[in-house]
Amino acid sequence: MDDLVSVEAVSRRFPLDHSEVRALDDASLSVERGEFLAIAGPSGSGKSTLLNLMGCIDKPTSGRIVLDGEDTSKLSPARLSAFRREKIGFVFQTFNLIPVFTARENVEFPLLVQGVSADERRHRAMDALESVGIAARAQHRPDLLSGGERQRVAVARAIVHRPALVLADEPTANLDTHNATQLIDLMRELNLTLGLTFIFSTHDQRLLEHTPRIIRLCDGQVVEDMQHAEVVHG
Amino acid sequence: MAKFLLLAFRNIFRNRRRTLMTLLMVGGGVTGLLLAGGYFAFMTHGLREDTIRNGLGHLQIFTAEHFRRDEIRVLDTGIENWRQVAATVRTAPHVHGVAPRIEFYGMVSNGQKSSIFMGSAVDPDAERSLGFSTFLTAGKDLDGDQGSDVEALIGAGLAKSMNVKVGDGLTLFAVTSDGALNGVDVQIAGIVESGVAELDARYLRITLPSAQRLLQSDRITNLVVGLDDTANTDAVYNELIPRLSGLPQRMTVKKWIDLATYYKQVHNLFNGIFLFMGVIVFFMVLMSSVNTLLMAMFERTREIGTMLAMGTPRAWIILLLMAEATLLGVLGAAGGLAAGNLLGVLLNASGLHLPPPPGYTVSVPFRVLHVPAMMVSSSILVIVSLALASILPAVRASRLQIVEALAHV
Repeated sequence: MDDLVSVEAVSRRFPLDHSEVRALDDASLSVERGEFLAIAGPSGSGKSTLLNLMGCIDKPTSGRIVLDGEDTSKLSPARLSAFRREKIGFVFQTFNLIPVFTARENVEFPLLVQGVSADERRHRAMDALESVGIAARAQHRPDLLSGGERQRVAVARAIVHRPALVLADEPTANLDTHNATQLIDLMRELNLTLGLTFIFSTHDQRLLEHTPRIIRLCDGQVVEDMQHAEVVHG
Repeated sequence: MAKFLLLAFRNIFRNRRRTLMTLLMVGGGVTGLLLAGGYFAFMTHGLREDTIRNGLGHLQIFTAEHFRRDEIRVLDTGIENWRQVAATVRTAPHVHGVAPRIEFYGMVSNGQKSSIFMGSAVDPDAERSLGFSTFLTAGKDLDGDQGSDVEALIGAGLAKSMNVKVGDGLTLFAVTSDGALNGVDVQIAGIVESGVAELDARYLRITLPSAQRLLQSDRITNLVVGLDDTANTDAVYNELIPRLSGLPQRMTVKKWIDLATYYKQVHNLFNGIFLFMGVIVFFMVLMSSVNTLLMAMFERTREIGTMLAMGTPRAWIILLLMAEATLLGVLGAAGGLAAGNLLGVLLNASGLHLPPPPGYTVSVPFRVLHVPAMMVSSSILVIVSLALASILPAVRASRLQIVEALAHV
């Protein structure tokens, strides 16, 4: 397997009044293609910052991130935008669906931005909704869906364009335990069946039991990189 | 692109109350412009046709020297063979009729009191055939019979200042072409009121033969040409120029607009007021919409951040917000057009009259014309205002820092 993501001595500092906060401190890790990986740690440990940097929506203060062979620090804003459009899928803690679009239209959105034809968009969006088990709710708007259903739609939206990497920042934070477990299982299933690389962050210990690789962060530093041998290959 | 426009359209109705307020403001602006502009159009259209039908005609023909004439001996530069000129003009298409005139000045006396008058000598039959009307308040109009050679119509103000009435005799004095002072006796056949007080205080009308006897000349000062439609004025003007160039005397043709000084002043005044109103509506829509659209953008910060995170080009965000504002403008304009036209119909049906304007003695009916060009320009004005108002919020939205936008609560 080859590296999809390579985080090399990355730091991210934010100015705060007259001092600065080190959200990420000299972090290094690599993620191989097709991995299912959890970033764990308490609040403020730097999980979201790390995901934002890997998702190319933030820039490191120092160090570099190589994604799918591309040094992201060298890309222009326009190229970064195109890079995210093609290579990355996002799942957000608060779902972040477009409220005036139906579930299917939300899933179509990344394809719309890519310029895919209407027929193909519809077809691929329905396939994605089918794969997350919510095709029957395709014509419903987000406000008519439960939290679990909304997050499934969000997952469908993240995978519909077959990105190299799916990033999910605390995707279960707004779900109950049952729905949270189901969502992680769903993402793992998509990882195995479609071969997509998933990286998600969580501070919920129970969700990590079936996660083959866990990277623990504390105070912005990688403190543990653990592999569960028995679940690595599903 | 259709999906993108659908997104813009649906976004308009996310906050219905705010959208309704914006639509009311935009629609109100269009309605106001339509009503005011429709009223101005009615006034200027009415004034134009009144000006033409009150005797100005659509075109007037003078000799080329007329405008360099001696105001006392007006016929020195008059048209000599005017019947030939009139016959030439009548052969042009769209010409409804031609009326000879002598416009002159003189003194009028009733034996006790004298006054300056502004005289107009006409062929009554020719005037009537052109539909030129006289507003009689007493007596009767001049007719083309022999007897009317000694009759006159005088303005209500002049009659009042001279203390004369219908049936009274007057003596008219004027300078002949030879420079001598000549006089004729006339009898007042009727009293007229144009609605313009200054004109009524000096106006006197006699027949052409009376004036030619008074001025000792067969010439006339001008020919008034009436057309079948005001819209044909330019076409007939262009037709007449070459036709008249072959005549022995050099002629000048004037369009009604060149002679209607008062009409032009009123038209310019209304245009100025309408422009001022348009500027006010433009800034009203612009200023209030900037605030509304900024609020809408602020509420959707996280959503915009999400779209940017998914790789949506920043230009798309600008276009989306501008499309929303433009669609809002289109809806507001459509509502304003409907309301403005409906109110116009209701106001026209109400038979409302406004008090006489300064210098006038009769009240003015309140009518609103439905002018397509005004509907288009008012709509474009508010749509452009909203599109411009959206630029600032749209650019701000496109420049959002994604991480900060996603964390927005």
